[in-house]
Amino acid sequence: MVSDPTLLTIREASTLIAKRKLSPVELTKACIARTEALDASLSTYVAFTPELALEAAEAAEVEIGTSGPRGPMHGIPVGLKDIYDTAGVATTGHSNLLKRRVPTEDAFTVTKLRASGAVITGKLGTFEFAIGGPSFDLFTPPARNPWDPARTTGGSSSGSGAAVAAGMVLGATGSDTGGSIRSPSSLCGLAGIKPTYGLLSRRGILPLSQSLDHAGPMCWTVEDAALMLQAMAGHDPLDPACADVAVPDFTEKLDETVKGKTIGVIRHFHETDHQAAPPVLAAIEQAIAVYKSLGCVIKEVRLPPLMDFAAVGLIIMSSEAFAIHQADLRATPELYGEIARDRISMGGLLTGADYVQALRRRQELCAAVAEAMIGVDVLLTAGSPFPAQAIDKVPKWLMYQKPSITMPFNVTGLPALALCAGYEAGTGLPVAIQLAGHPFAETTVFQLGHAYEQATQWRVTRPALLAA
Amino acid sequence: MSETISTEAFQVLLDRAGISVSPANMEEMRSAYMMLQAMRERVRQPRGYDAEPAHIFAPAGR
Amino acid sequence: MTALHNLTIAEAAPLLKAKKLSPVELTASYLSRIEAFDGQLNAYIRVLPEQAMAAARKAEGEIMKGAYKGPLHGVPIGLKDIYNTKGIPTTGHSALYKDHVPEADATTTRLLAEAGTILLGKLSTWEFAIGGTSFDLPWPPAKNPWNLAHDPAGSSSGSGAAIAAGLAMGSMGTDTGGSIRGPAAWCGISGLKPTYGLVSRRGILPLSFSLDHGGPMCWTSEDCALMMEVLAQHDPLDPGSADVAKPDFAGSVQKDVKGLRIGVVRHFFESDAEIDPEIKAGIEAALVTFRELGCEVMDVTLSPLSAYGDVAALISRSEAFAFHEETLKATPELYGELARQRIMMGAFIRACDYVNALRERGRLIAEIATVFESVDVLICPTMPGVAPKLGDLGNMMSRSRPSFTRVFNLTGSPALSVCSGFSAAGLPLNMQIVGRPFQDDLVLRVGSAFEKATAFRDLRPAQWAQQALAAE
Repeated sequence: MVSDPTLLTIREASTLIAKRKLSPVELTKACIARTEALDASLSTYVAFTPELALEAAEAAEVEIGTSGPRGPMHGIPVGLKDIYDTAGVATTGHSNLLKRRVPTEDAFTVTKLRASGAVITGKLGTFEFAIGGPSFDLFTPPARNPWDPARTTGGSSSGSGAAVAAGMVLGATGSDTGGSIRSPSSLCGLAGIKPTYGLLSRRGILPLSQSLDHAGPMCWTVEDAALMLQAMAGHDPLDPACADVAVPDFTEKLDETVKGKTIGVIRHFHETDHQAAPPVLAAIEQAIAVYKSLGCVIKEVRLPPLMDFAAVGLIIMSSEAFAIHQADLRATPELYGEIARDRISMGGLLTGADYVQALRRRQELCAAVAEAMIGVDVLLTAGSPFPAQAIDKVPKWLMYQKPSITMPFNVTGLPALALCAGYEAGTGLPVAIQLAGHPFAETTVFQLGHAYEQATQWRVTRPALLAA
Repeated sequence: MSETISTEAFQVLLDRAGISVSPANMEEMRSAYMMLQAMRERVRQPRGYDAEPAHIFAPAGR
Repeated sequence: MTALHNLTIAEAAPLLKAKKLSPVELTASYLSRIEAFDGQLNAYIRVLPEQAMAAARKAEGEIMKGAYKGPLHGVPIGLKDIYNTKGIPTTGHSALYKDHVPEADATTTRLLAEAGTILLGKLSTWEFAIGGTSFDLPWPPAKNPWNLAHDPAGSSSGSGAAIAAGLAMGSMGTDTGGSIRGPAAWCGISGLKPTYGLVSRRGILPLSFSLDHGGPMCWTSEDCALMMEVLAQHDPLDPGSADVAKPDFAGSVQKDVKGLRIGVVRHFFESDAEIDPEIKAGIEAALVTFRELGCEVMDVTLSPLSAYGDVAALISRSEAFAFHEETLKATPELYGELARQRIMMGAFIRACDYVNALRERGRLIAEIATVFESVDVLICPTMPGVAPKLGDLGNMMSRSRPSFTRVFNLTGSPALSVCSGFSAAGLPLNMQIVGRPFQDDLVLRVGSAFEKATAFRDLRPAQWAQQALAAE
């Protein structure tokens, strides 16, 4: 008997399930109980579907009992950001505009997750259309940070961040157009990966900006993120950007030594271009020390100014988002929350030439990063420049004022993992580092992330809320 | 420092985009736009005419 | 023996290889024709006699030593003056770049030089490949060799005129909305806009990155195939360049077309747009020829022609403006009026319009791919009529007469214009043959089979040359 199965990692839970020491139904019930206890204060779900989850858990239990588990995700409760289409269950983008929208088909990645045997628990809150939040003028309030409910989770995969940190699910899907997986992973103390552009299908996920959108998993550990990514990956010819590449075993290098790996630290990103808060800077230095002790080679890498990436990303994102929302924004602006409406509207003020210039600069930035990465296995910078802010004090135009530290890897499409690198003294809020790798080299990114987690103790600490 | 834009000129841009904003929001949007202006300038690098890279598209079958 | 300037590349190559034809003699013959006639035609912006003769002597030496490089060795060609040539001004036919001397060759310039071609000179173009037939530029516009009072079309105007007039054996054009195929049509030659990505654009002055194509213009499709043998090479310096295996162009044009399925996009020219009855008659006659050659001919349906024009215009104007905005703001007076006005339209396009145009483009590409599941090539007109009077392009370029060529810049499909006969007034008729991506070899094969089955390649525009001679 496991004392609190919601605090297991996916790896631990799946091992116990395979040995018949943990029942998927028992695990799912524990997650449901956790959700019922905490969701009123954390506002994690847009639509919680415990009956459907129990049904799936029971089916998993029967199947595992007769023919064994399909794989490590079989019987594992996971939540979906409410921009992932679910057949028969409303998918709203957390917006009044789509409040009653019920898709007839699952998103490609949701189909994949179901096929892996994962137990879908419901639809998690998000910044409206993955861009507007935290907002208090939507049909449900914004998710709150389990480490301190007065704080934001970061966004836009806000409910996903909160639910995993609070042990309501063992993993959740997120999406990332400028940092929407990595920001909440950083602020909620998780491991979240934005994989290489084109690795995961985006079909059936509400788009924000087609050339920057990425799907990805958010979990408690790097290993879990690798396991969940495995279940989501696969070529989808109907997403024109989805790359037809062989999907590797994302866990294959996890136990290999990282000795001799080269880590390129992009100091100017977090020290000058967007100066990180002292606890984040300290965590980065500590992480560098850990990697040194593991035998990694540390070198400093210079990239173009962070603001160049941010400007390119913001112009492309705003242009594409406005193209998607133009008709609805004009016809029914009142159905948008203020933050989403204002942010998306800015895209209407840009010209075709602005967009084209941003595309041209994007190519140059990609080339510059590719060159800087020669001889480097992963890049290292902050996952977020700061720990979670007060939920009612998140600046609406932050991306305009300070360059985003996550956007460079949306612009370049490189795989980027945010992972917990400690806790701010006093507040106990998580701080995070970010590791970015070569295109389709997720295995190496996971390997270095996992090695760091194994060498540190950060995964032992859970939000104090859970002890109550 | 990014260039400023008059309220009138900004209103023209809003009209062209088909966006209506409340008077209260107008000033906020206008100051945000000035920050966006700086970014528009930033992506415009001086380039010769044979500067690559250009952006492209991929025909089916590639 | 055929006069030297009437030889095709395919005819000249074996003679050159067998040392029966001297590259020096051939080049000298072309240079003297240019000297005699180009004052009337304005096909060239800049002729390079010394350099050409030096290259010809070098080629002759190589061939004499047995170091024959292939069918382009010793062949005199011209380049549209937006192809960079190291140390030689590359002007875009514009005052803005009057003194622009590139430090490196365009990739295609280099490939053609390495294949042993002889560069005769730089050819006229519409200013920056967009300006139209203009009279306010440092150089006059090219004229149509079939009738000097008529327009050669553009933007590869000099490239089309030079081939038709026998002032080069092969030339390079570029095509963003029809700029290879339009002049090929009105000048009665063969011009291929290859599949997007098959020919490098590195070092070619861009107009609209995602629609720009470089390609060959020759008297026959077979000659275009010989040029493509050299031009179709992956170039890592052009991010749009595709890394695909080179098809066997030269072999393909020797094969017959029996059993090929030809789809006629009939609604393009019967309901979507009006065309000259003579053009239509030319196409109908061509379809009879194809049936006789054993092809299966059927009608197919694409989106209406008007669906393509606006999408292409939004994309090309946005990209052209992005490219020119800095100089257009700083020195507008250095642009001709037509280029300035056309490029400035891009300033009014919103980002969302551009993005939506890209999305619509995706839909149109998917649609044509479906049509190509049941046919091997498509046929439709290249231009709705024959060449009008010089500069009289107003109607031809307007939205009321949508373009048949832009369609395939949007889809990236290989598209070839061939001569399908002559009008009562003696001007060339035209037809466009379009294929699946990277099946340029098949498109050329169909064009070549048609040319060989008909007698249209036997008629040269001798008329203007006689006028020119008389004027001397």
